[in-house]
Amino acid sequence: MKYDNILTTCPYCGCGCKYYIQVINGVAKGVMPCKEDPVSEGKLCIKGWNVVDFVYSEGRLTKPLIKENGKFREASWDEAYNLIVSKFKKIKEQHGPQAFGLLSSAKTTNEENYLMQKFARSIIVTNNVDHCARLCHASTVAGLAAAFGSGAMTNSIPEFEDADCFLITGSNTTEQHPLIGSRILRAKERGAKIILVDPRLIQLAKFADIHLRQKPGTDVAWLNGLMYVIIKDGLVDEEFVKNRTENYEKLKKEVMNYPPEKVEEITGVPKEDIISAAHIFGNAKTASIIYSMGITQHTTGVDNVKSCANLAMITGNMGKACTGVNPLRGQNNVQGACDLGALPNVFPGYQAVANGEFREKFEKAWKMDDKIPENVGLTVVEMTNEAHAGNIKCLYIMGENPMVSDPDINHVKESLESLDFLVVQDIFLTETAELADVVLPGTSFLEKDGTFTGTDRRVQRVRKAIEPLGESKPDWLIISELASRMGSSAFEYNSPKEIQDEIASLTPLYGGISYERLDDLGYLQWPCLDKDHKGTVFLHKGKFTRGLGCFFPITYKPPAELPDKEYPFTLTTGRILFHFHTGTMTRCVPKLDKEVPTGYVEIHPVDADRLGIKDGEIIKVSTRRGTINIPAYITRKVPEKIVFIPFHFKECAANILTNPALDPIAKIPELKVCACKVESIGE
Amino acid sequence: MEPELRDYVGELLDSGTVAGVLALKDELGAVKPYLFTKNNEIGDLVLTSKYPLASVMSMLQKEDPSIKLAIVCRGCDERALIELAKRNQINLDNIVFVGIPCDEEMADKCNCLQPYPKEIVTGEKLSNWVPKNNYEDFKNMSTEEKLIFWKGQLEKCNKCYGCRNACPLCFCSDCELENALWVKHGRLPPEFPIYHVIRAFHLAGKCVGCGECENACPVGIPLMTLNHLLREDIKDLFGYMTGQDIEDENPINTKEEY
Repeated sequence: MKYDNILTTCPYCGCGCKYYIQVINGVAKGVMPCKEDPVSEGKLCIKGWNVVDFVYSEGRLTKPLIKENGKFREASWDEAYNLIVSKFKKIKEQHGPQAFGLLSSAKTTNEENYLMQKFARSIIVTNNVDHCARLCHASTVAGLAAAFGSGAMTNSIPEFEDADCFLITGSNTTEQHPLIGSRILRAKERGAKIILVDPRLIQLAKFADIHLRQKPGTDVAWLNGLMYVIIKDGLVDEEFVKNRTENYEKLKKEVMNYPPEKVEEITGVPKEDIISAAHIFGNAKTASIIYSMGITQHTTGVDNVKSCANLAMITGNMGKACTGVNPLRGQNNVQGACDLGALPNVFPGYQAVANGEFREKFEKAWKMDDKIPENVGLTVVEMTNEAHAGNIKCLYIMGENPMVSDPDINHVKESLESLDFLVVQDIFLTETAELADVVLPGTSFLEKDGTFTGTDRRVQRVRKAIEPLGESKPDWLIISELASRMGSSAFEYNSPKEIQDEIASLTPLYGGISYERLDDLGYLQWPCLDKDHKGTVFLHKGKFTRGLGCFFPITYKPPAELPDKEYPFTLTTGRILFHFHTGTMTRCVPKLDKEVPTGYVEIHPVDADRLGIKDGEIIKVSTRRGTINIPAYITRKVPEKIVFIPFHFKECAANILTNPALDPIAKIPELKVCACKVESIGE
Repeated sequence: MEPELRDYVGELLDSGTVAGVLALKDELGAVKPYLFTKNNEIGDLVLTSKYPLASVMSMLQKEDPSIKLAIVCRGCDERALIELAKRNQINLDNIVFVGIPCDEEMADKCNCLQPYPKEIVTGEKLSNWVPKNNYEDFKNMSTEEKLIFWKGQLEKCNKCYGCRNACPLCFCSDCELENALWVKHGRLPPEFPIYHVIRAFHLAGKCVGCGECENACPVGIPLMTLNHLLREDIKDLFGYMTGQDIEDENPINTKEEY
C-alpha cells in the first residue's frame, strides 16, 4: 500500500491556502490541512475540505469532443487538434489574426496563463487575450497602478493579524475569503477596530464597531466624505502627504465638496456615522483598507479604487506593515493570470505591448517572424460585442464560463452562437462548452504541476497528486501541442518547470522565482527580482513604485442604471460561502450542494409583505435585459428596496439580469448595481 | 528520541512484522502523515508536529482490512484507536503500537490529561502530569454570562465542519450536523446553539482530548472547553475515562442484545 500527502495550493479563492491531498494507491481520498502553512495555519473552509469531490465528479470530461450536426461525439486528440489547426489557419487566412479572441483562465496555473497569451501573441499574432479578471479586479489593476504604480494588493495576509483598524468595504470576507475573515475576527478579539461599509448585514456586521450601509454605487461619495472629515478635523498625515505624494491640493479641493450632510443625502448613511468612521480610521496607528467586488464592479470602479488609494495615502497608511490598500482577489490564480500577461495591454510582468522594446524582446524570445501588434487588444466584454457584430470569428476559451459569469447572458449566447468556430478547453461540459465546436478536456489542479499566485502576490506550488483522468491532459500540454501543430518550435516543454524558468527570464517581477526556491521556501511574494531576492511582503516601502503616490480628485457619479417607476428595486449580486463562481466546481460536490442546492433572491420583509411574497415562494425578478424565476429568501440582511442574488446558479442566473455597462477605463461591467422589478407569480 | 525510534521502526519493516509504519515525515519544510514502507525513507521520520493519525489508520484499514501496520502514536492517538475499536471502526489486532510520550511543551499546548500512551518505546513519560487549565474561569461564570460568552464565540463560526472533519472519533457517514431537521442548511453562522451542541454531545464518552477540533477551527472557538466539561461529567456520572482499555465498557454506547 502507498499512502502519501501531497502539498498543493487550493483552487478556490485567492487566499492561497496550502493543504495536503491524501492519496492512497494513486487515488485522492481527501484533504489534510497543513499546520505549517503560513496562510491557513492548518485551518480550512468548507470548500477546501471537500475539494477532492469535484475532481472525481461524474461530469468530468475525459475525451475530446467534436460537434457534428449539433451533437457532440467523442474524438481522438489527433482528430481534435487537426480540426482546430485547419480551422484556425483558414480563419486567420480569410479574416486575419484580429478576428480571433482568446480567453485565458484565473483557475489555471501561471505557466498555463503564460502559454495562453504566448499562443495568442506569437501563434495567432493578436493581443485579443483577456480573462475574467476583467469582471472582478480590472478596476483595481488600473486604479492602483495609476495611484501607486502597481496594481496589486499592497500588504500581506499575515499582517492582518496585527492591524489596529480595518476598513472593509464590498468584501463579504468571512464568506468569500474565509481564512482572511478569520484573521480579521482574531484581530478584533485583540482589540482592533472594524469599520464595515456594506449595504448588507453580512456576518462581519456583528463584529463591526460601526457599520455604514450605503446605497449601492455611492462609494465615491462616502469615501470623499470620510476624507472631508479627516482633513477638517486635522487627522491628515501631513508628513507622509508632503514627502511621499503629489496632487494633494487638487484632491483637497474636490473632497471639500463632500460635507457629511451631503454624503448622507447621496449614500443614505447618517452623517454622524460618517464622522465616527472617519475618526476611527484617522486616529488608528495602522489602518488597513480591505475591499473586493463591491468596490470594483461598477461603472465607477476605477474611481472607487482611486478613492480608496486617496484615503490610505492621506492618513499615511501606505508602505508599512498592517496598512495599505488590499483588494482581495476572488480566484486562486486571478493575480497570476494578470501577472503573466493574460491581458490585452500587457506582456507578463505588466510590460506594456505599446512599448516597442518589450515587443522586440518577446518576439525574439518566442522565435517569431511576425510582429506583435502594438495596439491593445480587446477585453472580455468587448470580444463578446465584437463577436455579436461579426468582427470576431473565432474564440478559444480555456477554463472560463462566460455563459454564467458575464453580464447579460442572453447577449453572450447570441454572440457565441454567431462565431464561425469556438474551442473550449475545460474540465466540465459547461454552459459555454455546450456551444463549442470542439471541446478539449483539460485537467484539474490535482492532476498537474505548476504555480498559483495568491491575492497577496504569493507564488506557491501546485503539485500533481494523481494522474489525469481518462484521456484528459494538463492545459499547459494541450496549448503546447496545439502550438507545435500550428508550426511553432517555441513550445517544446518537458514540464511546467521549464515554462517557469522561461517566465523568470522574461519577467522581472518573477525573475527570482523557481521551483527549487519554492520547494525550499514554501512561497515567494513578488516583486522577486533575482535568485537572491527574498520577495516582497508589502509594497511601496520608502517609495512608491511610480515614485510619488498620486492623488486623484474624484467626483461622485451615480450608477449607470438607477431604480425608477418601472424597475423600482436595486439589484446587487455576489457570491456565497458554499459555492464558487459559476458553480461548475461546487454544485457537483454533495456536501456543498446539500447546503445550498439552488439560487435565491434576498428580499426585505417589508418589501415581501407589500408584494405579498412568502418565504421560499418562486417569484419573478426582471430587468431591462431579462427575467428569471427564483425562490424568495425573506431576510433583513438586505435593506428595503434592495435585493441580492448570488450568481452561481444557471437555472436562475443573476447575470441574465445584470447590466453590461462598462467602466470607461477598466471596461469592467457594473455587476453590482442595476434597476429591477420584483413580482409575485402566485406559485 | 528520533534516532532511537527510527531504528525501532526500521527493524519492524526489515523483519516484515508490518507492511508499513504510519508516522510523520518531514518534507518541503513541513510535516505530514506518511506511510513508511521502506527502511531507506526512515531518515525523514520526525516526531514534532501532530496530526490525527488514528483517522488515517482507520482509512488505511478500510482500504485494505488485512494489512498489518505500525503506528507511531502519542497518548491521544492510542486513546482514539481504542475508542474506535470499541465501535468496530478499527481492528487493533492488525496494529502495532509504537508509543511515544509528549514533552511538556506539547502537553501544555493541548492541556492534555494524559500525554503518553500505555507503553513507550523511547523517551520518558511526564510522570505526575496535571494539566494546568481546569476551566475554573468558565465554571465560575453565571448562566447568563455563559450564554453571552458562547453566543459571541459561536457567532464567529464559518460552518467549515473542520471540527468534525479533523476529529478522529467523528466517523459517522451520515452526520447529524448535516440533517436539516436540526440545523438549517446554508446559513451562516449556523443556528445558535444547536450546531455546536449536537457535536459536543455526540462526543460525550468519545472525546479523547486530542484537540484537533480546536486546532482546525479557523475562528478560534474554544471547543476543547466544551469537550473537557463533558468529559468531566462523563467521569463524574459514570466513572468512565475514554481510551483507557478496550475492555472498559463505554456507558454511552447502547447495545442491542439479541
